[in-house]
Amino acid sequence: MPALVARMERCPLCGTEFDAAGQGCRPSCPLAQGCKVVCCPSCSYSFPQETGLAGRLKGFLERRRAGR
Amino acid sequence: MTPRAATAPADRLDKQLVPEPRTAILVGNPNVGKSVLFGALTGKYVTVSNYPGTTVEVTRGHATIEGRAWNVMDTPGTNGLTPMSEDEQATRDILLREVGYACLQVCDTKNLRRGLLLTVQLAEAGVPFLLALNMADEAASRGIHVDVEALAKSLGVDVVPTVAVERKGLAQLQAALPAARPSSFAVRYDPAIEEGLAEVVPLLPPGGGLAPRAVALMLLAGDDSLDGRIAGLPAEARERVAEARRRVSARYPESLRFVISKQRLAAVDRLHDAVVTRGARSAGSDFGKRLGAWSTHPIWGVPILAAVLLAAYEFVGVLGARVAVDFMEYKVFYDRLVPWTQAAVRWLVPWQAAQRFLVGPAGVPFREHDGFLVGRYGLFSMGLSYGMAIVLPIVATFFVAFSVLEDSGYLPRLAVMVNKLFKRMGLNGKAVLPMVLGLGCDTMATMTARIMETRKERIIVTLLLALAIPCSAQMAVILAMAASLSPGALAWFGGALLGTLVLVGWLAAKVLPGRGSDFVLELPPLRIPQAGNVAVKTLARIEWYLREALPLFLVGTLLLWGLDRVGGLVVLQRVAAPVVVGVLHLPKEAALAFILGFLRRDYAAAGLFLHYEPFIRAGTLTREMQIQITVALVTLTLFIPCIANFFMIVKERGWKTGLAIAGFIVPFAVGVGATVNVLMRWLY
Repeated sequence: MPALVARMERCPLCGTEFDAAGQGCRPSCPLAQGCKVVCCPSCSYSFPQETGLAGRLKGFLERRRAGR
Repeated sequence: MTPRAATAPADRLDKQLVPEPRTAILVGNPNVGKSVLFGALTGKYVTVSNYPGTTVEVTRGHATIEGRAWNVMDTPGTNGLTPMSEDEQATRDILLREVGYACLQVCDTKNLRRGLLLTVQLAEAGVPFLLALNMADEAASRGIHVDVEALAKSLGVDVVPTVAVERKGLAQLQAALPAARPSSFAVRYDPAIEEGLAEVVPLLPPGGGLAPRAVALMLLAGDDSLDGRIAGLPAEARERVAEARRRVSARYPESLRFVISKQRLAAVDRLHDAVVTRGARSAGSDFGKRLGAWSTHPIWGVPILAAVLLAAYEFVGVLGARVAVDFMEYKVFYDRLVPWTQAAVRWLVPWQAAQRFLVGPAGVPFREHDGFLVGRYGLFSMGLSYGMAIVLPIVATFFVAFSVLEDSGYLPRLAVMVNKLFKRMGLNGKAVLPMVLGLGCDTMATMTARIMETRKERIIVTLLLALAIPCSAQMAVILAMAASLSPGALAWFGGALLGTLVLVGWLAAKVLPGRGSDFVLELPPLRIPQAGNVAVKTLARIEWYLREALPLFLVGTLLLWGLDRVGGLVVLQRVAAPVVVGVLHLPKEAALAFILGFLRRDYAAAGLFLHYEPFIRAGTLTREMQIQITVALVTLTLFIPCIANFFMIVKERGWKTGLAIAGFIVPFAVGVGATVNVLMRWLY
């Protein structure tokens, strides 16, 4: 199964907001396990989910914005 | 009458009062909370999301609504009734086959336009339905106000705002469901389409869940999935349907499916604008709106596109491919990391033979020995340095540029701008995204070809990426060489590449079986990108690149090292020399560059650059050399981008398609190179 975090994502292409759960790579792909690419249910645009280092940076920026 | 009913009057009375259960079918776009509403109606827990291709199961449940039993069906998310995927076909077929049902359409109020596109199709289908405006609270918090009464009046059906996760609006929905009725909303199409409909509708068999007009529209749009439904028609009727479709199609330069969608979308836009108002928070500035409109304008969009491309070139091609690569490759890798690695290995490994195997003999420059880690084709000095020092700075700057475009909302507008050109190549505007990404790294862009809807489109995009889109690493070397070419030779180079791209795309669209897809994309407002968001997106993509593409660089280098050890490279060079020297009229040194070109196309270009560098610097390039450089650049650019890209094609499209693409590209690249060589010697 793809290593996606179940949370709301906004598609950078069409702006649709959707739940990332179940929107990962196709299981037939040999690299699907551990894959962080999420696919928009509206326009099918795929983009890597911002987790790991990027997720930490995102969390940091959000905390900073919230603190202002 | 059952014996029990005959002997128990009270029971008989109950059975007379309890009518047959009715059926309710939930439909809606993906991820609008349909399954949550299904759970709230039936009390049964279901998973919220699904993905096309993973499951097309339909969930069933039971509910008691207004004192009557209902069978409730949850269908896979769909964006329309003319299916583009297996899931959408499943939903359409349920509506087609079931009879006597009431349909409950669930839509995301924040994204009402997308929901209304399905609403209008349900109206065309004559399905009795009501509309649930779900996530109404989130829409309100964003300043989106929907005039529910006006919408209900325009549609002629009940419209109920809901918040499914909080069960808000559920009681109103349950009260309205038994009164579900067909919508009075009708889309009038062009006279040509209406004439086609008037001819096809009477030919269709009665019955089924969808009105003949809706089925006729699907048939005119070329929906192959309906072949089974019209198979029972007399041969003459089938021929008349096909003839009507051919005749109406001939009236439009674009596919009929696209024309019908476009006209339907125009009707949806009018309805949407009449019932939706946006508060201050969501409204863009006037200038932003104007700029957004200009960016998709057939005339004003072109200078905006040129400015965006120039800015991207300056940032990626100059800052990334020249300044950052030069720093990383020489200052970081060759001047520091490579010598440090050699010293560390000599210090840590006590055996001289092992040291020699790993980092080569002491005192010999690494490009002159075959060390495993540090050497001509060493895993560290070539594999890692290419991945981290040459490609990473370029793709990192490219990711920054791409994230800025993504965050600004310009990318979907770019897709709209090039939609017409790409349609000639059997694709749609969405294909511009992997193409643009290919200018960063073809390997990664090949993965992004997944965004295309059909197998045919994915193969065409993969082929064009492998054939005619130079990655930034190669682009940098090309630009360095192209700077030495005369404007005439440069025009030959650009013309040959663009001509090949359009010609091969057009031919592939004609030759490959399957169909293209239409392209319905919402345009989010243009906005100023935020530095933090751009940094997060770039970092996420760099992590992704390092995880997925870098291992392939190492595998490619390992292969190269193995071939070098067993003398395979020399043999390959001898085999390639007749083609390179005999057919392309290039110097014999170019043969090795072409072989290495399969492993890394930019490596080959760099090899050629080194060959001609003394003449370029001295400004003594002859006409013969100008022709050679142009021919070499054309052939190399059309060549397989690199072994990593080949592996990625195999991974994404399978061995058969991968080998077929490589088998086409290699002789085709040489053929185009040879043609340019002959023509230039004649005309240049």
